[in-house]
Amino acid sequence: MKLLHSFTSSLIVSGACLASAASSWSFQDATIAIQSKGAGVGAGTKETLNPNTPLAKSVSLGATDTLKLLLTTTDGKKAKRPHQAFLTLTDPTTGLEESFVLSVKENGKGKVDLTQKDLPVQFLTSAKPIPASIVIGSFGSSTAYKSTAFDLNVSRDPNVPLAIPEPPTRYAAEQEIHHIFRDDPRSPPKIITLVFAAAVLGAVPVLLGVWATLGANVNHFGKAFGNAPISHGLFFGSILAMEGIFFLYYTSWNLFQTLPAATIVGSVAFLSGSRALSEVQERRLAGLR
Amino acid sequence: MRWLFSLVVVALLAAVQAVSFTGKRLLVVLDEASEKEKYSVFLGDLEGRGFHVTTESPKSDSLSLFRHGERAYDHVVLLPAKSKGLGPALTANLILDFLKKEGNILLALSSESATPTSVQSLLLELDIHIPSDKGALVVDHFNYDSSSASEKHDVLLLPYPTNLKSGVKNYFGGDGYIAVPRAVGQTLGNESPLLAPILRAPSTAYSYNPKDEADTVEDPFATGSQLNLVSAVQAHNSARLAVLGSAEILQNAWFAEKATLAGKDIKTANRDFAEKLSSWTFKETGVLKVGKLIHYLDEGVSKKLNSSVAVPENNPKIYRIKQDVAFQVEISEYSNTHLTPFVPADGDSIQLEFSMLSPFHRLDLTPISQTANSTIFGVSFKTPDQHGIFNFHVKYNRPFLTNIEEKRQVTVRHFAHDEWPRSWQISGAWVWIGGIWVTVLGWVAFVGLWLYSAPTEKSIKKTQ
Repeated sequence: MKLLHSFTSSLIVSGACLASAASSWSFQDATIAIQSKGAGVGAGTKETLNPNTPLAKSVSLGATDTLKLLLTTTDGKKAKRPHQAFLTLTDPTTGLEESFVLSVKENGKGKVDLTQKDLPVQFLTSAKPIPASIVIGSFGSSTAYKSTAFDLNVSRDPNVPLAIPEPPTRYAAEQEIHHIFRDDPRSPPKIITLVFAAAVLGAVPVLLGVWATLGANVNHFGKAFGNAPISHGLFFGSILAMEGIFFLYYTSWNLFQTLPAATIVGSVAFLSGSRALSEVQERRLAGLR
Repeated sequence: MRWLFSLVVVALLAAVQAVSFTGKRLLVVLDEASEKEKYSVFLGDLEGRGFHVTTESPKSDSLSLFRHGERAYDHVVLLPAKSKGLGPALTANLILDFLKKEGNILLALSSESATPTSVQSLLLELDIHIPSDKGALVVDHFNYDSSSASEKHDVLLLPYPTNLKSGVKNYFGGDGYIAVPRAVGQTLGNESPLLAPILRAPSTAYSYNPKDEADTVEDPFATGSQLNLVSAVQAHNSARLAVLGSAEILQNAWFAEKATLAGKDIKTANRDFAEKLSSWTFKETGVLKVGKLIHYLDEGVSKKLNSSVAVPENNPKIYRIKQDVAFQVEISEYSNTHLTPFVPADGDSIQLEFSMLSPFHRLDLTPISQTANSTIFGVSFKTPDQHGIFNFHVKYNRPFLTNIEEKRQVTVRHFAHDEWPRSWQISGAWVWIGGIWVTVLGWVAFVGLWLYSAPTEKSIKKTQ
């Protein structure tokens, strides 16, 4: 019934209930030693294991260390050789298990050596200490024994790179992907645009002003329209209309609406223009320009 | 008259009992007729679920998995045979061909008879490994039946399997204990995602050969939960193969037997587990069916998927880049007798990929609504700013569920010339637009000036 205190697994609890009926497996004289490479025999830490309570402090296994576990298996009080004697490591996060078989002699003396080379890569990278339990069991009516013996702390040399295999393919939902859109084209700050636009638009009054100072005028407007009213009206009107067509093409018209209109307005401009320009020529020949 | 006929068909279909989604022709391969008695309850249950059971001996001349190049049966139960070979009709190649034609197999092993060579090479092909020596079995000194195996500890009593991992549905769960007598343990290769354990051995179990003279186990085949008692393969074409470590699980003797686990009297639930295992293997559970896929331009009005087969899908063939698109898909799960709305396991989701060579979007689909026998999953997204030929791609492969792969191709075109923003909407263009207007005004003014300007005093003097 002592097992109850050290182990909470329900299976073992129920297994322990049988202990009253039959003898049960256990171990004695168990020692766990960590030997560093190069250090002499007997050097390094050595602890005694108790079948009823796990070791209080965790055992640290360095890169070149060897863990040596020695014990004598017992059935009841007698030393006896069981069929199964395992040292089982269980990863506390993933539940991965790996059992190491103790080689047990006829008289129940068993031992196992463990180095980092024997451990799967998951144990080497485990952040938490790995609980190690001792499992002893055999055929017949004796109750099998399983209890956590110690926590194993794997201290790896951080300078030695570790070949971690690619995780194998497993069917599961994958990470979501959201397309990253290219940035929208950006405009400079509006205030800068407005300043420059105002400067450009300001060029019109400047131009007109300069012309005015040079003596530009439209004084012959009446004279021109008096001499050739239709051709001057049509010519200047067609030039305005052409600008209007360009404006409509810019805002709403397509090319097939624009071209016929431009052809008509263009021919009007050509025909009326020759008359209007003849009138201008007459004024020039008369010395009025 | 036609509606009357279809009504009769519907009524007939409704009268049929639970049956597999893929077919009901079942072949049981059994060595001796006397053996059949041992499995009579299991086979009776299968017949009760609507299967047409044919029993054949592997030695029989008429036994063939194929007829005219097609499957002669939909499902096969391979029970262990005394003979070492299974004959010319059941070679590993033929069994694999049967799987390739989407046939399902329940393969039972036994430690009492040697595993036939064709089964050994079949399992090797599937990357399932069993102990090579005859008679090797799984023992556990903790979870054994102390009334029938108090000395040998080779009848394991195990609770029903729990979820394989989060996000995987459990089709084999239940209450009670399963008796696993004298099982052949299997280990699964790590590479393939098609393999899945159904029932794992407890952590203290190990496999050994009783014929081994050694007093103590020195080099066990496998230990703990790395050892599987029941494992499954589901191929890419969703053909299923279940490997049962112990054929005795299916025998009448263990279907509802009194057993003792650690001093506690229990009753084995093997009959229920055998039903769950066989109905999964023979596609009565865990079968997915895709209904309709629709996608449409999302203009703020969500459209309802009409799941009727009479209405064709009628999806657009072309979208523009950066358009809002809504996608919906209808998925049902077959459960013993009928199609039910499919609900993925917690932590799992069906995903839509919008892909051209590689996915541009991979989005979780969320259930939008349910019909009587399907769930409609949907998602909305914006088409990427890359034109080309894209696919709406739903690929859903999960352990224990049949595979779904659906693709709908669409063209994603660039902006047309009249879909860009107009120049006056771009503030950076205002300077240039202003320049054009200045030119226009200047031109008109110049024309007016050139036509109508009168000479000034100054200019006359200058020219003179």
